[in-house]
Amino acid sequence: MRTVASPARGAGPAGANAALGALILLGAEAMYFAGLVSAFIVLRAGVSEWPPPDQPRLPVGVTALSTVVLLLSGYTMARARRAIREGRVDAFARGLAATAALAATFLAMQGVEWARLLREGLRLASGPYGGLFLAVVGSHALHVAVGLAAVLITWIGAYRGRFAADRHGAVTALQLYWSFVVGVWVPIYLLVYLW
Amino acid sequence: MTMYAATDGAVPHVAGSEPSSRWARCIFSTDHKVIGKQYLGIGVFMAVLGGLGAYVIRWQLAWPQTAVPGFGWVPAPLMYEGVVPPEFYAALVTLHGTIMLFFAAMPILLGAFGNFALPLMVGAPNMAFPRLSRLSVWTLAVASLILLSSFLVPGGPASAGWTSYPPLSADPLWTGVSWGIDLWLLAVALEFVSFLMSGVNFLVTAINMRAPGLTMMRLPLFVWMLLTAAVLFMLSVGPLVAGAVMLLLDRNAGTAFFDPARGGDPLLWQHLFWFFGHPEVYVILLPGFGIILEVLPVFSRKHVFGYRAIVWSTIAAGALSFVVWAHHMFVSGIDARLAVPFSITTILISVPFAVMLFSMLATLWGGSIELKTPMLFALGTIASFLVGGVTGVFLGSAAIDIFLHDTYFVIAHFHYTLFPAVILGGLSGLYYWWPKMTGRMLSERLGRLHFVATFLSFNAVFIPLFLVGMGGHHRRIYNPYQYEFLKPMQGIHELVTWAAIVLVASQALLLINVVWSLFAGGRASDNPWQANTLEWATTSPPPYGNFATPPTVYRDPYEYSVPGQEADWLPQTAPEPAGVP
Amino acid sequence: MSAWFPQNISTYGADLDRLFVVVYYIVGAWFVAAEVLLLYLGLRYRRREGRRAAYVRGESWAQLAWVLVPAVVVLGLDLAMDSMSAPVWSRIKEQRPASGILIRGTAKQFTWAFAYSGPDGKFDTGDDRDIENELHVPAGENILIDFRSKDVIHSFFVPTLRLKQDIVPGRTTRIWFNATTPGRYEISCAELCGFGHYTMRGFLVVHDQAEYEKWRAETWSAGKAAS
Repeated sequence: MRTVASPARGAGPAGANAALGALILLGAEAMYFAGLVSAFIVLRAGVSEWPPPDQPRLPVGVTALSTVVLLLSGYTMARARRAIREGRVDAFARGLAATAALAATFLAMQGVEWARLLREGLRLASGPYGGLFLAVVGSHALHVAVGLAAVLITWIGAYRGRFAADRHGAVTALQLYWSFVVGVWVPIYLLVYLW
Repeated sequence: MTMYAATDGAVPHVAGSEPSSRWARCIFSTDHKVIGKQYLGIGVFMAVLGGLGAYVIRWQLAWPQTAVPGFGWVPAPLMYEGVVPPEFYAALVTLHGTIMLFFAAMPILLGAFGNFALPLMVGAPNMAFPRLSRLSVWTLAVASLILLSSFLVPGGPASAGWTSYPPLSADPLWTGVSWGIDLWLLAVALEFVSFLMSGVNFLVTAINMRAPGLTMMRLPLFVWMLLTAAVLFMLSVGPLVAGAVMLLLDRNAGTAFFDPARGGDPLLWQHLFWFFGHPEVYVILLPGFGIILEVLPVFSRKHVFGYRAIVWSTIAAGALSFVVWAHHMFVSGIDARLAVPFSITTILISVPFAVMLFSMLATLWGGSIELKTPMLFALGTIASFLVGGVTGVFLGSAAIDIFLHDTYFVIAHFHYTLFPAVILGGLSGLYYWWPKMTGRMLSERLGRLHFVATFLSFNAVFIPLFLVGMGGHHRRIYNPYQYEFLKPMQGIHELVTWAAIVLVASQALLLINVVWSLFAGGRASDNPWQANTLEWATTSPPPYGNFATPPTVYRDPYEYSVPGQEADWLPQTAPEPAGVP
Repeated sequence: MSAWFPQNISTYGADLDRLFVVVYYIVGAWFVAAEVLLLYLGLRYRRREGRRAAYVRGESWAQLAWVLVPAVVVLGLDLAMDSMSAPVWSRIKEQRPASGILIRGTAKQFTWAFAYSGPDGKFDTGDDRDIENELHVPAGENILIDFRSKDVIHSFFVPTLRLKQDIVPGRTTRIWFNATTPGRYEISCAELCGFGHYTMRGFLVVHDQAEYEKWRAETWSAGKAAS
């Protein structure tokens, strides 16, 4: 029984490699967000009035909506992966398209809200409020954007027939990444928007 | 991409794409062995630069404001006709630490020996993600260039210490350095990315691609050390990257994460930094120990003592390393009540290391020891690391640390842990694996001379620094003799500088040996040391794909002098106890 | 070995020095034993014709005892040293004398400034005096300093007092000491604070009672303006 890398991606050793590799990198990513979140907690805990008097409140309601959109994209991505695992390439492609659309919607909603916050006077320099928002929510948005690009590239690959039931290691890695991006948003939303 | 296409026992066709031309191979090769050698090249080059920085620092400390021999060519405003000004001195102190830890130690121990040896030791044809490997060494090369480019920018290179504490590092107003610190942050961040990629490769290759019969508890201890180091790095680096993002924003976007006047907290940086910083030193130390643990059994022809105890101690030390960080911060202004818990966790870490060191000694007991160069360096590592280990006990006591923090005692302590692990351990590995890497033998005579010169001069440099530290000599001081109480120490500084010059010059012995070996050295056989681990079961150097026939493993790596066997070694790949090549 | 320490003029300095010496002898004993053992093993078990290495795996509890028992002893000694260290730390960093002379310290690139409250004993009144780089105290009395930093992190280090404390901007850090011996002692900055870090030299001037009265009289005599 061989355990070296074989040409088959997806199921089999190479797929296992991709999944394990993704999990390890996501561990590091989780610690990055843990660092940002602990910075948020430390700096927020030292301030009694939050948001500070001259700074706009964060859009809790709209972001609750965009959170739902993001959670939905996690669901569509999971379904897409299950589809390719069962060899259903069309359902796979549709799932990727849905995920991309939902991700883009999330980013658009975030972008609109950020523009509004800036117009309403969100500043980086007067205190940690604006900077924390930029660092934490901005880091997350960057991760969503990178993930969106990966989903689109995978979608193109799906149309070119690159993936099959026994050849989809990259999809497994992508879906793990996407679950992380969706999952890490929940504590961020709870802390940054609701505290 | 497969290396072995056939599984029916016939000689397999080694597939895969290595570029044919030498230049293309240099840039595009995805062979872990080539990549390992490139890491070695980068690491050694940067170590030389780091060493030259130390030379200038040492010269200034011994003979302040005199021209440093050999450095007259450095242009103003970095140096003035060979004399180093305070600004560049602070930059050299910063870059010496940064280069040695991030651009020499990690590339040599993890990048070079890790990449070279791990796939071989687990019986794999290559790393799990060969192209990721290639990307990781490119990334390190780019990171190194970015760091070096900071010498050329207005304001000069970073000068806030390798620890880069804000507010000093957060506003150019305090240091006069603008671009230099941003470039430093970028370079270090890219170095982190490079080793994150390496870490993924180490873990996935060792977990998923082991040869049949190679269980986790039959892995060579060097591999265990690499895996633990990879996990420590993966889990600790995130918070510092977060901190670096915040520091970059403070510097360039006017944010206030670390500015207390606007609601920020300078101590936040220190927590994020040291949460990474302490596991980081074990990321460096453990692979160094791993090399020693490979060399000791081979050169004493004796089974390593307490394999399982060592594995468990390694994991324990790794886990504990995440809860000791504030011992770097006892006098930093943290709540005084935190001192006791962190003193306790710090002192607890000495226990797994004690187990490892006692096990190393127990391995020697009853052995048949041959003092070849790899073994000399291994024993030298243990002897020197003991100094580092015991002096750590002083610093782990919060009360004693009140006096010793930020003195030369600390400098001596960490040089007595890092130098043994990185340089003595790294040299042990170099002399040990050189035949496998190059197919040539190094000269034993030159090697022994190199060891004696390095070991003696190293101790001559750093033992006196404990003493001046006990005298209250504080760190990162451009001219100690501003202080009356430090004036009597100039004689010691002069002696230390002479010893440092000898230490640096002694490395020429290695250079001569290497050049001689490559051009005139004897050809190495497959297994010149008669060692059991898998890398010795193939040619020197191994072919692309590593093994002509995929190996099968039958036992643990340290079956030396097995009773009832005629030969005193028994390779992991030998099928039956009786059959030894 | 303790000859390398600077003179101790602090009431808590002797405790700290004694702790150092205790640790020194404990770890020193282990260190010497380990190095001697290493040297002995390296020589005693050198390769010799006709002698084969022993085969010992160190997996059974009986064999592991040789490693684990010393490790447990190390653990015990470690905890003992920590328990000796905790009260010394507490005395210097956690406890505060109930009363003492209060001085305000300001650390900045690259000087130490000290503000004295003057004869009225109150700060922010007209008789306050600021003196750069000189900390004047009477011997044998508790001294409390409320330290602030104007710019970056500095670290107030007086080797003869065995006292060190980082001064972080944005907060007031209180330290205390009691100096036993009159004299002039150097203060240094122990945290890299910029390229002038090495010039941040101050003086702790400890006066006996008579000298202290004289210094006060001179400093607060008519015509001596706040600096």
